[in-house]
Amino acid sequence: MENQTFYYDNKIVKNFAYATLFWGVVGMVVGLLLALQFIWPSLSFGIPYTTFGRIRPIHTNAIIFAFVGNGMFTGIYYSLQRLCKARMFNDLLSKINFWGWQLIIVSAALTFIFGITTGKEYAELEWPIDILVAVIWIVFGANMIGTIIKRRTSHIYVAIWFYIATFVTIAVLHVTNSLAIPVGLFKSYPIYAGVQDALVQWWYGHNAVAFFLTTPFLGLMYYFLPKAANRPIYSYKLSIVHFWALIFLYIWAGPHHLLYSALPNWAQSLGVVFSVMLIAPSWGGMVNGLLTLRGAWDRVREDPVLKFMVVAVTAYGMSTFEGPMMSTKTVNAISHFTDWTVGHAHIGALGWNGFLTFAVLYYLIPRIFQTQLFSKKMANLHFWIGTLGIIFYAVPLYWGAITQASMWKEFNEAGFLKYPNFLETVTQLKPMYAARAVGGALYITGIVLGIYNLVMTVKAGKFLPEEAASAPALVKTEAKRGSGEGIHRWLERRPVQFTIIALLVVLIGGLIEIVPLYLIKTNIPTIASVKPYTPLELQGRDIYVREGCYTCHSQQVRPFRSETERYGEYAKAGEYVYDHPFQWGSKRNGPDLSREGVVGGRQYRPNSWHFNHMENPQRLNEQSIMPVYKWLITDDLDISTTAKKIRVMQTLGVPYPAGYDQIANDELMIQARGIADDLRSQGIQVEPTKEIIAMIAYLQRLGKDVHAAGSPTAAITGK
Amino acid sequence: MLRDVFKSMGGYESYGMISMIIFVVFFVLLLLYTISLKKKDVENFSRMPLDDFSKESDEVQEI
Repeated sequence: MENQTFYYDNKIVKNFAYATLFWGVVGMVVGLLLALQFIWPSLSFGIPYTTFGRIRPIHTNAIIFAFVGNGMFTGIYYSLQRLCKARMFNDLLSKINFWGWQLIIVSAALTFIFGITTGKEYAELEWPIDILVAVIWIVFGANMIGTIIKRRTSHIYVAIWFYIATFVTIAVLHVTNSLAIPVGLFKSYPIYAGVQDALVQWWYGHNAVAFFLTTPFLGLMYYFLPKAANRPIYSYKLSIVHFWALIFLYIWAGPHHLLYSALPNWAQSLGVVFSVMLIAPSWGGMVNGLLTLRGAWDRVREDPVLKFMVVAVTAYGMSTFEGPMMSTKTVNAISHFTDWTVGHAHIGALGWNGFLTFAVLYYLIPRIFQTQLFSKKMANLHFWIGTLGIIFYAVPLYWGAITQASMWKEFNEAGFLKYPNFLETVTQLKPMYAARAVGGALYITGIVLGIYNLVMTVKAGKFLPEEAASAPALVKTEAKRGSGEGIHRWLERRPVQFTIIALLVVLIGGLIEIVPLYLIKTNIPTIASVKPYTPLELQGRDIYVREGCYTCHSQQVRPFRSETERYGEYAKAGEYVYDHPFQWGSKRNGPDLSREGVVGGRQYRPNSWHFNHMENPQRLNEQSIMPVYKWLITDDLDISTTAKKIRVMQTLGVPYPAGYDQIANDELMIQARGIADDLRSQGIQVEPTKEIIAMIAYLQRLGKDVHAAGSPTAAITGK
Repeated sequence: MLRDVFKSMGGYESYGMISMIIFVVFFVLLLLYTISLKKKDVENFSRMPLDDFSKESDEVQEI
């Protein structure tokens, strides 16, 4: 067969590599600022744009979608062409993928700064950007599948299977979780409410970790590790089992983020069982990666690329062991809502994603610039500083998590909570928070060294935008299965069919988890006393979402005595039926707020307290780490949106009476005047038209309905 | 219609068992497939990342 000469597109690889470095620094510096705000809350600077609630989504989205996302594209665009022995399907699609993705990132950062958010973790983007994400993702997928179709190899290598699974699953997750009805260009309400919204969100959130942070990087591992070690993967058969078992199992495990919550028990149990089973394929992959280096460990000492890879794969092994452990109810009771989750996430992000990304960059930048790495010594220094950074980051958080969870649960001899004031449990952690910030700063120092090293490498080399390669031309064969050809062997040469089968495998778990929650009403027993929010409370809730309060406060009391003693009645599924979106949160930097409005309850505080607390939390308690929210006192509430919001809620099934949208603002003003009058009686002068009034109205509503019917448990009708 | 299917399954407690059976069947079939793979094919596949620039082996090219 005659050889064909073709050219790999290195320019797109270079662009994505540069974007990875740029956004990596941005995302990590914002992370460091967040870490410092735990020690010095004044670093929120008293303005809305830099408060924890607004910049935390910038940090998480920048790391996941900008740093890791661009790193993933860098590796995929490099390896896919070489594994297919073909140039990318279409250069224009590559460019649209690159520039479209950067546009999404910039739009995300800007909208989050201005408080434009859906309030759903890692899915905070509002609907116009969501649509853009879907379009760009399809462009990426089309370009990838097109490249696979025009490849010059018969078999599709296992790394590409992981890329395909990434594409199809993220597409399904993103679309399903982003379904919403717009109120305006920058505001929408998700079609799901309460428990349903929580389940869909964490099905998304968990699998975003699986299919954005894991599967594409496993694909990169299966390509770049053999390349760097110059030996084939330890067991190709194991990689096949790894792939199918992983994509099949991962999708079921989402409910482990909602243990002890109001989610039905069967769904929680399903999540636990499949999470524990996930250890097997995950460790199969880790072992496969590490054993590839058998007989080559001497090279690990020499080669920084391999060093980064070994720690990355080990971090993958650690977090995929830790994850299933955290999914068991015993460990989850301690780890959930504490810094354990944050430590766990960063072992994955800094170790697995961060180190593998730099291994890939250290591998490919010298190659596409036809030179050697500027300084191996500097790369080794980066490796050690980075590794120390990860340890300094994670260990204090694990320590802090166990300390705080123990303090939350400790009772004195008289049977009362030993630390009834939540703030005591936060103040105790400040040394750990300081150590964490040092760890983060170390890691960023390593990144800066890495960037300098790569910039010097680029300067010393000569860029090769079009890299020549040759391979025999393709011979077209029957689409049908040949005699003696197994189904899987046939699939391995049919990319479209392979994609469809992978999608079906992924969907099985998702459907079994989510469909019953839609079809069976008894999954969410209604509570007769739970009523829709008043217009003022609804507006207040939207401010709560805008300010990202869910990043520090949960609305989910777990059925533990230590929690019911501290907060009040434990959470019921039926109390959230009008919550579009749910705001259960995943981390308690401050106390749970879901019983805040229960008059006479343990968490109840008068309107004046909330006003003073928002204006200056440190005046009430100098140890508080809450940012100031004084603009809520001066900014006018935008009531031009009330009618539209009521109508959208009606469309979503919230039972406001017909025509209520027309009188909503009248009722809003009546309630607002009541709160302003009450504040005035306490010596606080504020107009009823200010945002603070709506925020107070919302906070004072929380938990009220559940307690309205006397014994809340008796009020559950079961229908 | 789906609602009836779920009802006929005897409640959701059976979900865990059904899920497990689906996975075990899937996993066993997967193991059988990987065991049945020919050694020579597997070796060729696993060498693919290392054959970037070299000319294709004598394996017949087909798509």
